[in-house]
Amino acid sequence: MGFIELNVLNNAAQNIALGIDLGTTNSLGAMWKDGRPIVLHPEGDSGYVPSAIHFPEKGMPAVGRRARELALVDPAHTLMSIKRFMGRGLAETREDAASVPCALSENENGVVQFEMRGRKFTPQELSALILMKVHDQACKALGGIEVTKVVITVPAYFDEAQRQATRDAARIAGLDVLRIINEPTAASLAYGLDQRKQGTVAVFDLGGGTFDVSILSIEDGVFQVLATHGDTHLGGDDFDRMLVEVARRELSALLAPSVLEDRAFLQSLRLAAEKCKIELSSAPEAYMHLAMPESGVQWRRNFTRAEAEALWAPLIERTIHSCQRALADAKLKVAQIDEVVLVGGSTRIPAVRERVERFFNRKPHVELNPDEVVALGAAVQAHVLMGGTREVLLMDVTPLSLGLETMGGAVAKIINRNSTIPCQATEGFTTYADSQTGIEFHIVQGERELAKDCRTLGRFKLSGIPPMPAGMPKVAVRFHIDANGMLTVTAKEESTGKSARIEVQPMNGLTDEQVEGMLNAAYRHARDDFDARRAADLRTEIGVMVRATERGLTHAGAGLDRETGLDIEEALVKGRAALQGPLPDTSSLQRVRDELERATLPLAALLMDSVAKSALSGKKLSEV
Amino acid sequence: MNQAATSCASCGAALEFPLACSACGTLAAPEREPGPFEVLGLAPQYFVDAADVKKRALRLGRLLHPDYFGAADEATRALAERNTARLNRARDVLLDASARGDWLVRALGGPSENEQREMPKAFLLEVLEWNQQLEEARANAARDHARLEALRNDLEAQRAAALAALARVLEPLPQPASPALREARAQLNVLRYLDNALAQVEALELDTHSPRA
Repeated sequence: MGFIELNVLNNAAQNIALGIDLGTTNSLGAMWKDGRPIVLHPEGDSGYVPSAIHFPEKGMPAVGRRARELALVDPAHTLMSIKRFMGRGLAETREDAASVPCALSENENGVVQFEMRGRKFTPQELSALILMKVHDQACKALGGIEVTKVVITVPAYFDEAQRQATRDAARIAGLDVLRIINEPTAASLAYGLDQRKQGTVAVFDLGGGTFDVSILSIEDGVFQVLATHGDTHLGGDDFDRMLVEVARRELSALLAPSVLEDRAFLQSLRLAAEKCKIELSSAPEAYMHLAMPESGVQWRRNFTRAEAEALWAPLIERTIHSCQRALADAKLKVAQIDEVVLVGGSTRIPAVRERVERFFNRKPHVELNPDEVVALGAAVQAHVLMGGTREVLLMDVTPLSLGLETMGGAVAKIINRNSTIPCQATEGFTTYADSQTGIEFHIVQGERELAKDCRTLGRFKLSGIPPMPAGMPKVAVRFHIDANGMLTVTAKEESTGKSARIEVQPMNGLTDEQVEGMLNAAYRHARDDFDARRAADLRTEIGVMVRATERGLTHAGAGLDRETGLDIEEALVKGRAALQGPLPDTSSLQRVRDELERATLPLAALLMDSVAKSALSGKKLSEV
Repeated sequence: MNQAATSCASCGAALEFPLACSACGTLAAPEREPGPFEVLGLAPQYFVDAADVKKRALRLGRLLHPDYFGAADEATRALAERNTARLNRARDVLLDASARGDWLVRALGGPSENEQREMPKAFLLEVLEWNQQLEEARANAARDHARLEALRNDLEAQRAAALAALARVLEPLPQPASPALREARAQLNVLRYLDNALAQVEALELDTHSPRA
């Protein structure tokens, strides 16, 4: 159908990039439109995709809201809070593993795997399923346009392995990641643009599984992060766990030990705790319910807000401790913070709000929806990256120091935490034996003084050094942390100018081949699904166009010349044909749609003339 | 340390900064690694106007940042990454007196921190005293806040004195390879010790409030 005004969405897929908040509990997509970021949601839907996956006995897993609903009736086959496993090994996830309803194992690179229905899934693959769902919802909201460029947010305190895992998840989902950006920074973008703020801002971001605090200076569109601190294992899940612990203690008198350890039972308990926690944010007391008909257990436990807050106090103090460290790193006093912004669903807990207010000695901002602000900020950044504006300049930092293990197991810092990214440092190395052609080294991330207390990013082997007497080769190794906060290492032997080779053994990460393999498996399915949906959407659109054209012809058909009339008739015949029988393939439907649009342009123009133009501008013929 | 006077490969305008043309915005790949002063179009000197450095860094940042090359080819994106990393490094060096002093001493042919490790003799006795205080503070689980504060004040005062001594040597800049550079290095070593000690005091103070301590 003829568009009277050029609808930007029509041919803009290549100019659009999505912002995606891949959250522990919920995920959400947004984009830049008409001078501001908007949340993308299909009609009648909030757009939130619960970060949950349900595995039915047969067929494709259910992702999002449906999976979240199924978690209540089939907790044993529903996975949630997958983000807490990203870039982590089995040993590091013991605490979280307790609330996972299935067995966990580790692949040969130390990547956690969930064993579900006889198959093994890495957190990267599971996150890819969630990303596909968010992407799918967003594309649906855009009327079926397929956008593949995305900006994805991660907690600011995510380390290299966690960022890499996120990027791999996006690759498996078939998405082209323009940038990985930090959640509190994204929030500040949405907030700063919305409120036109200047000054020093603290963003306090307590989500479902992670906590960050970032201190920024905002001035004339420049968002400069001064310091960040956080905990990638502190969020709403931990608040739930405190209630779960109480319940388990009290239920131990009623239930057999085998039930108390049962994974499905623990998952149910966790969901009951979460519900109780949410109710406590608006009521002075709430019940935690547990109904297990098969064990004949009907259990109900009253929590007052005061009791829950006492349980949560140590968690809240940990967030305040992070705030103190971030302020110290920013070399600022509490009194120098002009504004405090709350982000993340867990900041709805009154005790959290009160403690933050008391610490910063000012009322925090809550104008923007704490569940949407991160996705909105990612959409702002996507707009910048697509060349939409140079008004905004984002300068973020790397949250953790980068170092090399030295003799004796100590760490030599190469890049300090809170360095503005991108940043790079070059270190010189030489050989200690004659004709030595390789050097091995161990890269770590963290603030501790001993390498064994920091996180291993990888063991790198430098090879291809020309044979020379010991101490003669001068190998310059360059460490570059890019604007995504991710590390690349390159090396060069300076006396010969030869590039030495760096081999990386990823730690708790996937190899390129593994990602490639998963991409092929997952993406093929997604493609098929996408095509089928696109075809269905096109057919619906053609139906609308056919009816509108028929209506238009009765109103204004007399004003058309013969040739145009025949042209429209021909397009109509093809259009009607496409509405009959089995669903034709996407490309032929697209041709029919485009043909109808082209042929009916004169009719649209005619209708325009016959009605007041001002009332019509921007409307499609089908809307007249 | 002299500036490389070149012109923009794209529009021919004289380059104000070696990393990008401020006239047409084209990124430039310098043939040799530019020093931090050169990156920001400044002549090397010890005293800098911090506000001016920040202003220049921002102007340059708006030309170089990889966010503005999201749609460019891979080589251009990599150059934006590299040049912005160079800019960030230059800004950090110029805004930090110790880092600035360190770079100037090395650029003038003075000793590196590995080549000359000693501090002024008068300072060594005090170092022993401070180390002992830090040791005691660490050993004592209950932090004596007043004592830590006193130690911090002491260290801060020494730091101000060391910075003043460094400024006396480096402003105006001494001749290349001048013996004054050894004196500058000695003061830089003092500063390094003090910054390290201050960081330890800060860690101890924060630990006081730590719920995990």
